[in-house]
Amino acid sequence: MTLPRLICLAGRNQTRAPLAVRCRLPLFFFLVCAAFTQDARQIVQESQKRGQVKSQKYDGLLQVQESERTVSEKRWQYQRIGSYGASKSILRFTIPPEVKGVALLIVNHSDRASDQWMWTPAIGRERRIALQDRSTRFFGTDFSFEDLEERDLDQFDFKLLGEDDVAGAKCWRIEYKPRQSRASQYSSSMTWIRQDNYVSVQVDAYVKNQVARRLKYFNLEQIEGIWTARSVEVTDLRRKSRTLLKLEKVEYNVPLKEENFTVPALRQSQ
Amino acid sequence: MIRPAVVALLAAPLCFSQNLEQRGFLDSSTYFYPRAASNDDGKVVSQLLLRYEVSYKPSAHWRFSGGVDFRTDSHRQVDRAFKFNWWDRSMAQPAAAVRRMSVAYTSGRLNLELGKQFIRWGKADILNPTDRFAPREYMNVVDTDFLAVTAARLTYGTQSNSIDLVFTPRLTPSRMPLLDQRWVVLPGNFPVDDLGARFPGGGQYGARWDHVGQRAEFSLSFFDGYNHLPLIDAALRPLPFPAAEVQRFYPRIRTYGGDLTIPLRWVSVKSEAAYFTSSNPKADEYLLYVVQLERQAGEWFFVGGYSGEVVTTRRTIQDFAPDRGLSKAFLGRAGYTINANRNIAFESAVRQNGHGSWARLEYSQAFGQHWRGTVGLNWIRGEPGDFLGQYYRNSFLSLKLRYSF
Repeated sequence: MTLPRLICLAGRNQTRAPLAVRCRLPLFFFLVCAAFTQDARQIVQESQKRGQVKSQKYDGLLQVQESERTVSEKRWQYQRIGSYGASKSILRFTIPPEVKGVALLIVNHSDRASDQWMWTPAIGRERRIALQDRSTRFFGTDFSFEDLEERDLDQFDFKLLGEDDVAGAKCWRIEYKPRQSRASQYSSSMTWIRQDNYVSVQVDAYVKNQVARRLKYFNLEQIEGIWTARSVEVTDLRRKSRTLLKLEKVEYNVPLKEENFTVPALRQSQ
Repeated sequence: MIRPAVVALLAAPLCFSQNLEQRGFLDSSTYFYPRAASNDDGKVVSQLLLRYEVSYKPSAHWRFSGGVDFRTDSHRQVDRAFKFNWWDRSMAQPAAAVRRMSVAYTSGRLNLELGKQFIRWGKADILNPTDRFAPREYMNVVDTDFLAVTAARLTYGTQSNSIDLVFTPRLTPSRMPLLDQRWVVLPGNFPVDDLGARFPGGGQYGARWDHVGQRAEFSLSFFDGYNHLPLIDAALRPLPFPAAEVQRFYPRIRTYGGDLTIPLRWVSVKSEAAYFTSSNPKADEYLLYVVQLERQAGEWFFVGGYSGEVVTTRRTIQDFAPDRGLSKAFLGRAGYTINANRNIAFESAVRQNGHGSWARLEYSQAFGQHWRGTVGLNWIRGEPGDFLGQYYRNSFLSLKLRYSF
């Protein structure tokens, strides 16, 4: 059981379409009633369960913006195998030309923080990203290395703080804090999960009681039965800059090989 | 009948392009030297480099990689004759060179690559004693680039362990600076005759085991081959007029090495060491090691460390060894990312006896998707007897403009 950061914030629509159409009101009423009986952890767990896939692939367009103008545009290809705590992912830059081939391998673990290695073709070397370095911005974007990993649910304490409307949708507001053993740059985080489809639409990450990063998920779309945010906006509130990630060519459950998600494979794939 | 064939024909380049990756750049570099050197009074050196690399993956198992370099310069460091160079054994840089040309076959955890390729060993950043298959261009001793080697490389790897076996049929030497240019410092104004190089015959072998653990990464390596950095035979020729004759040669060496990375709570510790032995009566036997601490914090990146050398058998009289020249020194690097397009970096090496030091301050900025400009200030100080110090006349300002595609 893990808490996804940003890459796979999606939820499977478990409602059969005809039933949903026929019984929209009763179903919605049922969900709202259920909310009061659920605790925060169960909500997050359900959200993750709905987003479970064997693998995922997409092309990402990153637009870094400062003072309301785009200062940098990058593209990456993302591949992920496995679900949550047991997943592995590789993202590889394809544009601009000067960073083409730069790649990041993330190996998530259910019982501890992920391992990460970055491959830089210009020096022909991979470099392990140490845990204490994960608060660093990832390659000039507003994502930190930590934002790219997946978290284990058991390493957090959850608290249901109430309900809010976010972009016209009713959401549960849930706070989660890392337990003592978990090393994180964030002291706590707040997530808003939609009550109708269990998709997280916003995450505020706190450092010493101040919001340091805000992630917003837009353009929700069902792809192969999975609710998928096609746009993710991360704002670094301390630097006052933001990065918009647009997900294109999203595919789920594509055949990917486990052996392509290793450090030797990272070196050889260039 | 014709229509499907036409469609297939039109689709072919599309299919091909989906598995084809290419990249490259056109790089213009200009170096401004405020002081003349004893053997070179040129104060402005300009270079132009066009690099194009391509890789094609027709299936999940096969990958073909290629790359070429075209270059020219204002200072005759680049050969004016236009012919493709493969072995990188010429004294001047070739005007056209095959940078890389290899075919790789992958099956599961096994990877075999044949041809001209880059092989990097080691984990440290500034000095890599175990990096034995990575010769360099030393036309400018403090601004270098790697050269590929022609090799067969077999890798078997899992996430935790990998084994790397390498064979190269011929030595690819590092390219040392030209004798009549400022990065070779000659004693006095004595005339020197460059007799070229004596290249050894025979192949080189290497093996490396790399382990990635939860708390540490380490590797052990073995190399049996030739040092890609030369020793120098020097002799006095009295007639027809007195001159020194110099010739480079590459001693057979065997190295036993290892490297280690331990991420600690506040910093990452990296270390790398290799013990060099040689059957050549003119080659030293020595241990070269480096220990460094590394940390990223916010927009900052810091590396600081020490490189040391312990000579167990001293035999060498003359050599060109930048790796040993950077030993017994404190090394450091710091970088700051100003924003998505701009960064600044500082790098330095200071010999522990204070006889030589080098520092570089570099500012780099990207313009749009393709252009990057870099301004660098290199400052070298020291005494003539020290490897770094001997270049005290070679402090320089560099301007680089690169168009990547």
